[in-house]
Amino acid sequence: MTERDDIDLTAAEFALGTLDADERRSVVERRRADPGLDRAIAAWENRLAPLLDEVAPVEPPSRLFAEIERRVEVSEGLGATAPGPLATATVIALERQVSRWRGLAYGSMALAAMLLVALGVVTGWSRYGVKGTETFVAVFQKDDAQPAFLMSVDLATREVTIRAVTADRKVGKAYQLWIVAEPFGPKPHSLGLLDSDLGPTRKRLSDLEPAVLQKATFGISEEPPGGSPTGQPTGRAIHGTLHQASP
Amino acid sequence: MGRTVEGMQKPPPDLARLMMRVAKRDRAAFAELYSATSAKLYGVTLRILNQREIADEVLQEVYVKIWERAGDFDAAQGSPISWMAAIARNRALDELRRKRSFVQDSAAEVLEVPDPAILPSEAAERSEDYRRVERCLDRLEPDRRDMVRLAYLEGWSREQLSIRFDAPVATIKTWLHRSLIKLRDCLGQ
Repeated sequence: MTERDDIDLTAAEFALGTLDADERRSVVERRRADPGLDRAIAAWENRLAPLLDEVAPVEPPSRLFAEIERRVEVSEGLGATAPGPLATATVIALERQVSRWRGLAYGSMALAAMLLVALGVVTGWSRYGVKGTETFVAVFQKDDAQPAFLMSVDLATREVTIRAVTADRKVGKAYQLWIVAEPFGPKPHSLGLLDSDLGPTRKRLSDLEPAVLQKATFGISEEPPGGSPTGQPTGRAIHGTLHQASP
Repeated sequence: MGRTVEGMQKPPPDLARLMMRVAKRDRAAFAELYSATSAKLYGVTLRILNQREIADEVLQEVYVKIWERAGDFDAAQGSPISWMAAIARNRALDELRRKRSFVQDSAAEVLEVPDPAILPSEAAERSEDYRRVERCLDRLEPDRRDMVRLAYLEGWSREQLSIRFDAPVATIKTWLHRSLIKLRDCLGQ
């Protein structure tokens, strides 16, 4: 079998859907660096797509689109200029948090590359009832220009959602999410990898009390594929912290 | 196949145009795109995931992704609906495979699963493109054809196919590869 056949069969099985989780991840990783593989996958997706005519359409629940629009607004960068649930947004640099991370077990390389922490405080989430402040947003910011990642936390469900805003997909790199919070001691605790495709990543932190979650510091570091080999951040890291928003 | 006359079901003519507007951050176009395509993508997602709660979540992520990636869509590479369906299927499969790595399928479970894939649903619209793929699938042995359908439409893994068709996983893989090559050669694309 030639290398080209091999690529085509990988593409075919990816599009068919029979690869396991690890194989799928590896293909997603490879196609970014390999336009041939990317084209082969697209060709297979097009070849097989007519079969989807066999699937009867099903109307999704009507509430879904409002939720999608809300997420789109968050993804568009806090929606500061858009009307809607995100009434105001402010971004504050928090030097204090940087020094807090400096105190942690970081290598000097990572320290040198330490990036500014920024925080977005969002108010006016009226849909969350009388308290109105159960959802928070933190910005992971590389520079003064634009946020790299945006994280929203719903304290009611203890669900964290991270979206890439300007962060780039990198070949041979994974982004890993960390938390520094009381129950885990002073060192960062891994919350797992972000979606390798940089789609939204959702984590449910059901073990953490909302009060603990609110005080936690979050970090995102660049790691080798599969995550940090040491159990601690090894690569460049950017950080964000949640604060209580005033209603 | 019993039907003799079928209007060629064209996709809504403006999907490609809507995609271009969505790429330019046009929210009204996004809403139109959603209403034109969400039932299709939800059907596809639900068929793979079989659980509404999970499919609801996945569908939301899929449309946010479509919003974010609309600029990457290349009309020369395929139709908007194929591109969107690929995003939906990939997201649904990732979810399914992730779950499966924790919960092993029991043999009984797989064997008892009804297989609507094997009997194509009559309710769905059929396109000329569909008929071409169907003609090519019909050239495969019935077992192989069912495998392709179960994998593509229901998200079955090689392991599940291996239990269902009572063959080692490596054999399933070989059969799938041969079927896919035949399919590609038959479709001539």
